[in-house]
Amino acid sequence: MKKIIYGLLATVTGVVLLFSYRTSLDAVAPAASTGSTTGDGSESTPSGSTSTPSSSPSASTSSNSLKDGSYTGQAVDTRYGPVQVQVTVSGGKITRVSVPQYPTESFRDQQINQQAVPTLVSETLSAQSAKIDMVSGATYTSDGYLQSLQSALDGARA
Amino acid sequence: MIPAGRGRTVRTAGVMGTVASIHVIASDGGGHHRDVLAAIDVCFDELRDVERVFSTFRDDSDICRLRDGLIQADEADARVAVVRAACVDAKEATGGRFDAWRRGWFDPTGYVKGWATEKAARRTLAPLLGRAGIDAVGINVGGDIQLFTGADSAWLWHVGVTDPTRSGEVSATMEVRNGAVATSGTAERGAHIIDPRTNTPVIGVASATVVADGLERADLWATTAIVAGFDDLSWIASAGVHSGLVVSSDGRVRRWANGLELTASDRSTAAPDALPFAVRRGA
Repeated sequence: MKKIIYGLLATVTGVVLLFSYRTSLDAVAPAASTGSTTGDGSESTPSGSTSTPSSSPSASTSSNSLKDGSYTGQAVDTRYGPVQVQVTVSGGKITRVSVPQYPTESFRDQQINQQAVPTLVSETLSAQSAKIDMVSGATYTSDGYLQSLQSALDGARA
Repeated sequence: MIPAGRGRTVRTAGVMGTVASIHVIASDGGGHHRDVLAAIDVCFDELRDVERVFSTFRDDSDICRLRDGLIQADEADARVAVVRAACVDAKEATGGRFDAWRRGWFDPTGYVKGWATEKAARRTLAPLLGRAGIDAVGINVGGDIQLFTGADSAWLWHVGVTDPTRSGEVSATMEVRNGAVATSGTAERGAHIIDPRTNTPVIGVASATVVADGLERADLWATTAIVAGFDDLSWIASAGVHSGLVVSSDGRVRRWANGLELTASDRSTAAPDALPFAVRRGA
């Protein structure tokens, strides 16, 4: 379970950290470890369920023993309000981390804030980097576009 | 890569010295395909028209004719006054780290792309979400992105940020439903960002990425972040800025969300259950 927690934290840390300090995060981790398997997620997104794990060997080996399913932690009270974390495991890898319960009333409006937290590829689960829709980067020239990642995405999907 | 049951329409066009890519995600497989393509064309046309007015590479643009004294301000396209007013505000908001008058004449080049892309996308692309079966619409102009997703859709845009220190690699990812992601940097065109306060090229930051509601703001602050430098994140709580990251020339990364910097701690010395990150308020 420690692996789950660790992977969870590496992925979700940015989200949780938006409204918590170390003290409240410490409270989140045990919640995940006592979570129950629900089999299927109460919320599912087409994007999460079809992501293809990349072949990068660095990040995924530690989670091979994870059992497929959706793990939902208990809601934990932080000083900012209740926080709950859900982890989805597919193919032995954590494919999705969501935080179904947030302390902020206006969370729906702030969804971009929460989900737009940058996750560094160097520290994330490999599955996450395998699925990209758009690429942001320093402005490329018309010629530079041809060598750009965005060009590859456009070409693959046009 | 496309989730089952969804179709993606992609069109690209050369505008503003770069390439614009528009993606439309539709779950009905193209029931409104003709309308989608028409909206995309209108969006590209609007961007080309903005380029005609604002380009500093065309002597006949309004901006160049103003610079050269061939027309007066009141003779220029009405959008010039709109952008000029926005640039006055931007200079104020950024404490002079963005200055459209740095070169001695009004050159809003660093501002127009984000402003025009957001405006065109909101006017021509966002209304597509009202059509049944259309989940999401996004535009990427040279690495600066504006994204829209229908309130009832489960779609999430997965945005990658190019690694300025490793060509062809992505250094970070983020998920966005509605919002803008802009990245400024020196990776593609060399050191071309000037600190208007000193009139010298900025060094130290390889790239800066900012997430905001709109691309006008995201682009402004991404440029400002470069000028501010790797050590100065005092501006990250500025109005409208949600999150982002800066990458130094030697590959170090700082990132933040909601005005809080997220800092990595040393994993090798951390206890197994210790958190991989700490958070610092302010900067």
